[in-house]
Amino acid sequence: MSAAPQVALAVALRVLVHATDPARREALRKLVIDAGHLPVDSPLTADVVLSDQVHAGFAAMPEHGGQGLFTPRELEVLGAIGDGLTNKMIARRLDISPHTVKFHVESLLRKLGARTRAEAVAKAREHRLSNTVEL
Amino acid sequence: MTELIEQFSSELAARTAALQGAAAAIRLPHGRRVSAILWRPDVVVASEQSLPQREEFDLVLPGGAQATARLAGRDAGTNIAVLRLSQPVSPPVLVPGEAQAGALALALGADGSGGVSARLGLVNLAGPQWHSLAGGLIDRRIALDLRLGRAEEGGPVFSAAGSFLGMSTLGARARVLVIPAATLERIVPALLKDGRVARGWLGVALHPVAVPDALRETAGQPSGLMVMSLAEGGPAAKAGVVPGDIVLSVNGAQAVGFRRIAAQLAPDSIGRTAALRIVRGGSVLSLDAVVGARPAA
Repeated sequence: MSAAPQVALAVALRVLVHATDPARREALRKLVIDAGHLPVDSPLTADVVLSDQVHAGFAAMPEHGGQGLFTPRELEVLGAIGDGLTNKMIARRLDISPHTVKFHVESLLRKLGARTRAEAVAKAREHRLSNTVEL
Repeated sequence: MTELIEQFSSELAARTAALQGAAAAIRLPHGRRVSAILWRPDVVVASEQSLPQREEFDLVLPGGAQATARLAGRDAGTNIAVLRLSQPVSPPVLVPGEAQAGALALALGADGSGGVSARLGLVNLAGPQWHSLAGGLIDRRIALDLRLGRAEEGGPVFSAAGSFLGMSTLGARARVLVIPAATLERIVPALLKDGRVARGWLGVALHPVAVPDALRETAGQPSGLMVMSLAEGGPAAKAGVVPGDIVLSVNGAQAVGFRRIAAQLAPDSIGRTAALRIVRGGSVLSLDAVVGARPAA
């Protein structure tokens, strides 16, 4: 949503911008115009709807059995992977040996059921979003 | 046999017709709408998550008459919003009933032009009380085995006998839940009185973590809740909690899950001291926080 489109579309899209906050709505409308598309006001004439509202549904407080949880160190390693760091760079950032980093990364992939680092980051983000609770 | 099915069908249609006076439509921007319950002559109850942040709403009443209503209060914790109608109406009296797993449930919505929409399904689950992600206590876990359109959310759900089970609500992955009549009876009067429901607050975002092996013996438990972020000037921050702390217990309740901690933050906890047991940098320490009131979302 924030980056300019990489591929120029042959036709301008009619975009309905939906945001509760007026300032946010204006910013999104500007983004649509800058990208060469046309903001419209009715869902009947829109090709796409750009909405900042996520309908996650009314959810229960998550509960976990204490199995497969990350340790604080693993969470740090996960954060570093998300920042695009290599094992060597992570070792330097956390002041641990590359061998230990490799060990943590393997444990993370196993716990997340991920095959690649990119998949681990995506799964971890979802896991973190749905398991962080404000109290 | 045919007679029985016809009888069943016409009974359902009659039931829907008799109860449709309890479902109204609330108009939303961009031609959208949601359903709502005419709770009392001048009180409308709706699904909190489906309403935009505003004070005035336009409604379409059963039969097609237009009405305006003012927001009286909203509680994200139980997903209940309450509106007060500018002109009272005469809705059918809702007789509360208990949901029973396996029994039929009739979910009604408003079609936006004065008519009703109906859905029939089984009560899929009628379990014990539960906490929502936003910290509210819901008296029973009721799920329905039916689909519901977005515009139908917030309408009344009835048993086969026509007793009122609660308000339909879309849960995670569009699962249809019911906010039980008992929860509405508890929260609606509080919202009419104060506009909100007070709930205890520590001002921390917590994430479950495994206690590192080296600390397990000191901690005395295998997992805890790590502080990911703190509300500036919030109760936990004032008590000296910092990001990265692992909460082991609150008032002696082990932080092995969120529910036990949420239970320590009931409305009567506000102003009281919460004793936090925390792991920080290899040692266990105790901090006392004064529980605050959760700010409105």
